[in-house]
Amino acid sequence: MRLAGPGVRSLRLWGVCAPAVVLVIVVALLVLGRTSHSSRNTAAGPPHTLVEVSPGRCGRGWDDPRPGVQVFDLRNTSDQAADVYLEDPGSRAVYGEAEGIGPGTTRALTVRLGKGAYALRCVPEDADAVMGPTVRVDRGVRGPAAVAVTVHDLIPPAIAYQKWVAGGLDETVRLTGALRAAVDRGDLAAARRAWLPAHLQYERLGAAYDAFGAADRRINGTDAGLPRGVHDPSFTGFHRVEYGLWHGEAARTLRAPAAGLVKAVTTLRDDWAQNRMDPAQLGLRAHEILENTVQFELTGRTDYGSGSSLATARANLDGTREVLTRLRPLLATRYAQLPGLEREMNGAQSLLDGFRHGGRWTRPAELSRADREKTDAVLGDLVERLASVATLCDPRRTS
Amino acid sequence: MTLPDRRRFLRGAALAGAGLATGGAAATGGHPGGQGAPATGLPPFHGDRQLSVPAAPRRASAFVAFDVTVDRRAELAGLLRTLTARARFLTSGGTPDPVGITGPPPDSGVLGGRLPAGALAVTVSVGASLFDERFGLAALRPRRLRPMPAFPDDDLRPDWCHGDLSVHLHADDPDTVLHALRDITRHTRGGMQARWRLDGFSSPPRPSGTPRNLMGFKDGTANPDVTDARLMDRLVWVGRGSGEPGWAAGGTYQVVRLIRMLVEFWDRVSLTEQERIFGRQRESGAPLDGDDEHDTPDYAGDPKGDVIPLDAHIRRANPRTAATESGRILRRAYNYDRGMDSNGNLDMGLLFCCYQQDPVRQFEAIQHRLAGEPLTDYVTPFGGGYFFTLPGVRDAADWYGRGLLG
Repeated sequence: MRLAGPGVRSLRLWGVCAPAVVLVIVVALLVLGRTSHSSRNTAAGPPHTLVEVSPGRCGRGWDDPRPGVQVFDLRNTSDQAADVYLEDPGSRAVYGEAEGIGPGTTRALTVRLGKGAYALRCVPEDADAVMGPTVRVDRGVRGPAAVAVTVHDLIPPAIAYQKWVAGGLDETVRLTGALRAAVDRGDLAAARRAWLPAHLQYERLGAAYDAFGAADRRINGTDAGLPRGVHDPSFTGFHRVEYGLWHGEAARTLRAPAAGLVKAVTTLRDDWAQNRMDPAQLGLRAHEILENTVQFELTGRTDYGSGSSLATARANLDGTREVLTRLRPLLATRYAQLPGLEREMNGAQSLLDGFRHGGRWTRPAELSRADREKTDAVLGDLVERLASVATLCDPRRTS
Repeated sequence: MTLPDRRRFLRGAALAGAGLATGGAAATGGHPGGQGAPATGLPPFHGDRQLSVPAAPRRASAFVAFDVTVDRRAELAGLLRTLTARARFLTSGGTPDPVGITGPPPDSGVLGGRLPAGALAVTVSVGASLFDERFGLAALRPRRLRPMPAFPDDDLRPDWCHGDLSVHLHADDPDTVLHALRDITRHTRGGMQARWRLDGFSSPPRPSGTPRNLMGFKDGTANPDVTDARLMDRLVWVGRGSGEPGWAAGGTYQVVRLIRMLVEFWDRVSLTEQERIFGRQRESGAPLDGDDEHDTPDYAGDPKGDVIPLDAHIRRANPRTAATESGRILRRAYNYDRGMDSNGNLDMGLLFCCYQQDPVRQFEAIQHRLAGEPLTDYVTPFGGGYFFTLPGVRDAADWYGRGLLG
């Protein structure tokens, strides 16, 4: 599970690096002693160029520019960790990156260079970015690149998205209230009818991979990891209520789970209004909502009796679209395949809509082979494409 | 056809043997691909024919049948172009093109940063269902391509049969195969989905000669000589003027049969009975009327089956008459092992694959002779399919199926 924004990631890196710094420097010195040429051809594979990373000597050693696939061995000779970007100094398009290179260590960066101008940007952990000398390559076709997205770029879409989620949580509170009311008055048929819209409303918010933290576990957790499975007292939320509604449980045994669901959703709504979403999560969400769908809905893993996995998939698609809509201005200039992604999103939507028959949805296990394969293909294709949205929208520090 | 010299010294080792579904002719002999053999033994990717077909089976293999999930003919062509590009790269090796910050790493990294050249063989074939109404290809269907029928001793499971496309991978090491499979599925996810998949392996000689199957018998000795170009043209490759559509020249028919072996039951059968069922001695592989694996059985001298029973597998499969000579097939079988059955028995057997010019004249004729043989009590064919192996990819501009769709 991926919870972390970049802040957490670099913390983790530091945890690994810091205690080993001394040892690493010794090893690096040994390596330095052995490599007398800054640029060398290995017996098999692309050529390597040894380049220095430090505030005063960013990009030193790149004296022999050439086109094609090649490896830069980025050696951090400073005393603090640094990120490195290889970019076009004119357009600022990034051709490659290496994040969190520990002091005294060397990191390999493989890129394809073609005709154009390049420079290394060294971004030390606690100091301003430094631009290395510009290097020109006179021929060849260069690899794909994009201008880095910064946290600053992500704040407006994150705020807009957070507002949209807040509205969606209000609606979730209302719909779970209706579900609870039906359970309380003992009308289980009405409760079953009320369960699906409430659950889909929540799923539309894209609570993939702990986006809502521990609250999601209470609201939408499964019995995975619980010692007594579906009978465990810690099995709560939508799926607990679903299990009871579709397994003949009495209304009185469902009152507490239904009340608990309303309480958990209400708490989340109130907390959400108090907190600010980490902008770094936006790109991850665009990708991971549907990863969750592939893992848990297309397999039927989260079906506790309602048979609504494909309805959930459809709601997750809506949730993904909400994220993409807000990221669109950033993606339009960075993601060449955006039109293809949008076309496939539309295709997935009409495919999934075809599995709805009035209020009932086909269960994954009931799909014909052709429909099953088509669904797997369409959703599988989408997560491949959305993975690029996550890497492009990972915020990078450029100054 | 150019094959490495190493194949040549294997030719002698090739005249008899117990083929489970065939008993065919000549052997794949020793194990050119395994155990320390240089990776350069695999044929080049480009050529008029897919030379992964006659290449000796490597140690590790995956057979995957896919269904095409796109609707339009142009999209199918795009899928085959992508498949070609991946196969070309995976077999030729090199450093995957970096994508910078525009996506996740372009390669799984399972083989390290740089892929070796010549370590993988890829065979791409198409099933009869590709020629249904979806893509308007009905008129171009290879004449003898139809869905695999159920034979009397089969117990076919629909989830393990047929497919629009088949991709067969083989390599010296399992990580090479799995790396390729991940790469291919990743790049084609929107265009095709795996329908069924079975991994196989080829055993080393124990202690010499033809590799053994999981019943303990040397299996597949008598294959036709793949270095004999004229023989291959008579038995394996589809040529021009054979009544097949023009695009099909250079292709061949691939028959795949997934055959479960009831190994626990088999291990409870006396050695004499086992040997009479196959018609060979288990340890040496020699026919029951001979001393050596490569001795030729003399059926004419044993007309009543006193030494080699009339219903022994090798005798039914390959009666060694003039009439059955043109019915031989090129066997490319692997052992498979996939865990347990619901009753706790081991689920293992044979991933049988063979190539021929005409599945009716060759595979099916053998299959009909084998119907009801005593071996059928110990094996259960449960899946597979008939496919047409596409002509080769000629050069960097060519792609699988260009003659069909281009």
